[in-house]
Amino acid sequence: MMDNKTFLIVGLIIAIVIGVLAVFLASGDPDGLESTALMVSGQKDLTGAAPEDGNPEAVGTGTFAYESPMPDYSLGESMGAAGGLVAIVVGIFLTLLVVLGATWLVGMAGRKTKS
Amino acid sequence: MHIPDAFIPIPQAAVYWIIALIFLALAVRWAKNEMDEDKIPLVAVLAAGIFALQSFNLPVTMGTSGHLVGGALAAIVLGSPFGAIFILTLVLIIQGFVFGDGGITTMGANIINMGVIGGYVGYYSFQGIKGITKNTLVSAGIAAWLACLIPSLACALEMFLAGTFPLVPGLMAMGIYHAAIGIIEGIVTAAVIYLLSQARPDLVNSTIGAEAA
Repeated sequence: MMDNKTFLIVGLIIAIVIGVLAVFLASGDPDGLESTALMVSGQKDLTGAAPEDGNPEAVGTGTFAYESPMPDYSLGESMGAAGGLVAIVVGIFLTLLVVLGATWLVGMAGRKTKS
Repeated sequence: MHIPDAFIPIPQAAVYWIIALIFLALAVRWAKNEMDEDKIPLVAVLAAGIFALQSFNLPVTMGTSGHLVGGALAAIVLGSPFGAIFILTLVLIIQGFVFGDGGITTMGANIINMGVIGGYVGYYSFQGIKGITKNTLVSAGIAAWLACLIPSLACALEMFLAGTFPLVPGLMAMGIYHAAIGIIEGIVTAAVIYLLSQARPDLVNSTIGAEAA
């Protein structure tokens, strides 16, 4: 049986392998929500292929807009797959750090209330 | 099923945020009691793995793709719907703020769909189905399928209330696509639970039932 440190490292390596494979192998088709948005706006049939230049967000009426630093898990078209790899690895480590930070904070608060 | 900012008007998005924050407060209270030096690495690996798997879209025909959401996985492995709320919220914060996957104003709705509804449906249907089938992996697979389908229908209702989708076509398309995407959810959830039961039976046997190992 693995100790905690080995488990964390092995888990992290598996996550990175999955993320790297995803950069090259993930499907570019719209997800279920986007596909539905394309369908209800007449850009796609229920079971038909996704349009090349469809815009799922055309159906939305919201006004709020936010520019993320790495939209669509990439560093922009010019960086291509290399940008995608950087984005996904950054994302995995960021997830790890945020979780460790959040559990640490929660743990600190927990000890305070118990004492 | 990450809802972008454009899909929900801000006043409605605020209501979902308030509901999400209530569940998040409960999830933090859960985490306070549950987190120890064994559970922290498990939560960290689950979160990193769910983040990576969520970037891996697989084709499900019909011009559509989908990926694991992970609500059922987190809830079953951690033995509580709050485990799903805790992990999915952190993953959604990073996806929304850093990668533009899912909106900021709509993050509350996304937390409700994937964390709260996904977590509750995944956890309780796993318990119920396992009582009948006595098989951990089959039960986890079916529970995960439901935990993909039912949040997608909730999402379709929210889209109807937002004036973004018409009711019946929205429910139908979301349901059909996520019934297909749910097969990915079911297989990946069962596979990850099997791997965890092999790697760390001490951490998961009490929540998933020992016979999987």
